[in-house]
Amino acid sequence: MPGIDECLLEAMTLPGARGAAIVDWTSGLALGSVGDSPNRDHEATAAETAEVARSAAEYRAFADVHDPFGSCTAADEAWGTDGTAAVEDTAADGTSRKGLPVEDLMLSTRNGFHVIRFVRTTFDSSVFLYLWLDRHTGNLALARMRLRDLSERLVLL
Amino acid sequence: MTTTHAGTEVTAHEVVAAGSPMLTRLADERATGAFLRAQGILYLAEGRIVHAESPSAPGLEVLLTVGGALPAQGWQEALTRAGARHEVGRDLVGSGRVSAGELELCHLGALFDAAFFVLGPASGPTHFRYGVTHWFGQVHPVPVAAVEREARRRRALLDSVWPCADVDTAPVVPRTPASDQTVTGRQRALLRLADGVRTPTAIAWALGRPTFHTLVEIRRMAAAGLVEPPRARVPAAARTVPGPLDCDEPNIALLRRLRDALEESL
Repeated sequence: MPGIDECLLEAMTLPGARGAAIVDWTSGLALGSVGDSPNRDHEATAAETAEVARSAAEYRAFADVHDPFGSCTAADEAWGTDGTAAVEDTAADGTSRKGLPVEDLMLSTRNGFHVIRFVRTTFDSSVFLYLWLDRHTGNLALARMRLRDLSERLVLL
Repeated sequence: MTTTHAGTEVTAHEVVAAGSPMLTRLADERATGAFLRAQGILYLAEGRIVHAESPSAPGLEVLLTVGGALPAQGWQEALTRAGARHEVGRDLVGSGRVSAGELELCHLGALFDAAFFVLGPASGPTHFRYGVTHWFGQVHPVPVAAVEREARRRRALLDSVWPCADVDTAPVVPRTPASDQTVTGRQRALLRLADGVRTPTAIAWALGRPTFHTLVEIRRMAAAGLVEPPRARVPAAARTVPGPLDCDEPNIALLRRLRDALEESL
């Protein structure tokens, strides 16, 4: 059960890792950050990545209509796809977690990869892990798996 | 539930939004103690903020029990066991009630939420009581400058979403969305509690969600027309323009309101 700093330092051991952060996407606040950031300013990067994460979290295209935490329209609700019975995941430690239908986002630029992994917590939150990788030395598939693992271990009892 | 180790107290009269020369000085001198204002308290340890409380923001207890999976009894037990030695946070993690990572995330969320209100426009004096520490214990100390910067950024963020602050304090009255209008899951959770009586702060408490996060959603919904703007709700009688001003006796209250409205729109 690592804390924020241990989690970020572990993310930085991935090949090609240039910077990592834990960001709240409602406020755009970086709750923790290590290494470099594409803006050379972790706070600005956090605010920008938070906007991207929020769009992905809220657009209906990425929502599961059966998910009570997802976005929907009045028409969806009229069709009974609101799913008012709460659907929660039960993790390995037996506790239920609130989460979004969207799990992660990967964005490639000419020189880098950016990975956003949503963190599912037991309390009401809007947090994601962010990792910036070098395009040439980074391994996107490995980074995605490691971030999933880290995002689960961060909140595991 | 605070303890005073040293009785020394400093008072200042400041009217500064999201910044305080007194707080900066306390950070520079690596002070430990409680920074008290009418809007709440910031706890400092060696010049860094370790805890924040405000009547406007639900505390960690509410976030973890109402919004989270911690039973109220679990919180009480940790408080009884470790409150006196100021290690409630450590006890919650040690007893397996909350994971270390979740405690950090939730505690930081509560700290920045409460600090946003403490560092808001000040009314009344500011006191600093040296030596006071909080019973929760330290989790993740944050530099004063970072907290002040974040409070300023949050105020700007709210105003960029919807510039009228009156939606922050008025009871939330939902409007029927257009048939193709998207309402997010987090917004629906909030609207389900909007009964025309609860204010955004009351909804934050009922959801176990930070107040600032609730305000962001409320302002976004105000901008999208998903909640009624409070001004439209004022009864017609109250909206009537006051009679011609008596120039010998200017209506100070009206002038103040005008000035505030003009400043708000700048």
